[in-house]
Amino acid sequence: MSIEHHPDDLMLAGFAAGTLDHGQHVAIATHLAACPKCRDFVRVLEQTGGAMLSRLPPAPMSSTAFEHIQSRLTEPMSPAPIALSPASVSESEIPGLPEFVRRYRFGKWIWVAPSVHMRPILLPHPSDTRVFLLRSGSGTKMLEHSHSGVEMTCVLSGAFRHEGGRFGPGDFDFGDDTVDHQPVVDDGQECICLVAMQGELRLNGLVGRLIQPFLRL
Amino acid sequence: MPDRNKEAARPADWEARIGAIAAHQDRTAFAALFEYFAPRIKTYMQRSGVNDVRAEELAQETMLAVWRKAALFDPASANAATWIFAIARNLRIDAYRRERRGQIGETSDVALEFHADEAPQPDASLASAQSDRRVRAALAALSAEQVRVIELSFFEEKAHSEIAKILGIPLGTVKSRMRLAMKRLRTLLEEQS
Ligand SMILES: [Zn+2]
Repeated sequence: MSIEHHPDDLMLAGFAAGTLDHGQHVAIATHLAACPKCRDFVRVLEQTGGAMLSRLPPAPMSSTAFEHIQSRLTEPMSPAPIALSPASVSESEIPGLPEFVRRYRFGKWIWVAPSVHMRPILLPHPSDTRVFLLRSGSGTKMLEHSHSGVEMTCVLSGAFRHEGGRFGPGDFDFGDDTVDHQPVVDDGQECICLVAMQGELRLNGLVGRLIQPFLRL
Repeated sequence: MPDRNKEAARPADWEARIGAIAAHQDRTAFAALFEYFAPRIKTYMQRSGVNDVRAEELAQETMLAVWRKAALFDPASANAATWIFAIARNLRIDAYRRERRGQIGETSDVALEFHADEAPQPDASLASAQSDRRVRAALAALSAEQVRVIELSFFEEKAHSEIAKILGIPLGTVKSRMRLAMKRLRTLLEEQS
């Protein structure tokens, strides 16, 4: 199964430069874990980052800078590895998540609508973007909603389709307030996506309005 | 710092110098790397919006990481400047996040998010060798002008008006040139695979 839908080039450049918001960074990294093409693309962009560094005008370091650093070179060569927290979600439980994301803390699965559940990913750093897993039963219409900001979706398992095409594992979908897609999950398998959502979520439809007050996405 | 390194410090030597640090903790090699890169990393940090003191600290931390991680450097996958850039970028991201959070209790390793300087995995060596080849070929085929516009807009985060001035092209051309550069890069990578 090949990946058909990739993040925009500019988003990948933002990723390589390290200027993306943390939540969006997670969404792009999730796509990259599945997509060798975009990984290559990011690697080339990183090389231009190296070229940029060589071209920057030097800013004088303080006169004691080198002495200072020399005194620290006797510290152990390989620093003690950072004690990373253990994975809270295993690869078999949620396939397709990058390892660093699996180490984050996850909230509980929350019922959102019939056959639709979400599970917040608790980012270790504040972000303007909320990140969560969205699990939708086979054949369901995914959460019908609009939003005031940008939304990035990366399929982890299963598939959905909307006017923009079919989205299977690894595929990346992008939406903003100008896009009004209504994704429908393929029959036969539930679909799990990682979603990074900026701005306020507005659920549409009767169910959405009913559950809105109870939902803190 | 011995002065003779100043003359010998040609870009082509950076990779060998990192190798010398990995092989025998070569302090002379480190001094040369420090002299060239630390002040440039400092500029990079300053431009990312931190004050001078912090920029200097981050430049020092980057160079210390270069010393410590030298054994992880793989010249086949990135040149020295790119590898050092990635370390600096990751420290900058980490610093930015910590600043927003105050002192954080959680540990995270930004490098893991990029897989930038991880030790190469033996089972993935063929795939990564092919990727190295594609990346090198694509880079070689991009025009200097195209690399420059990507550099300026994403890595130096210059406004389009500034880029227009630096490159001496009309403002309206900046965006299309950038898009074209990216598209060309996609095509080049496609051709290589
Ligand atoms: Zn891709």
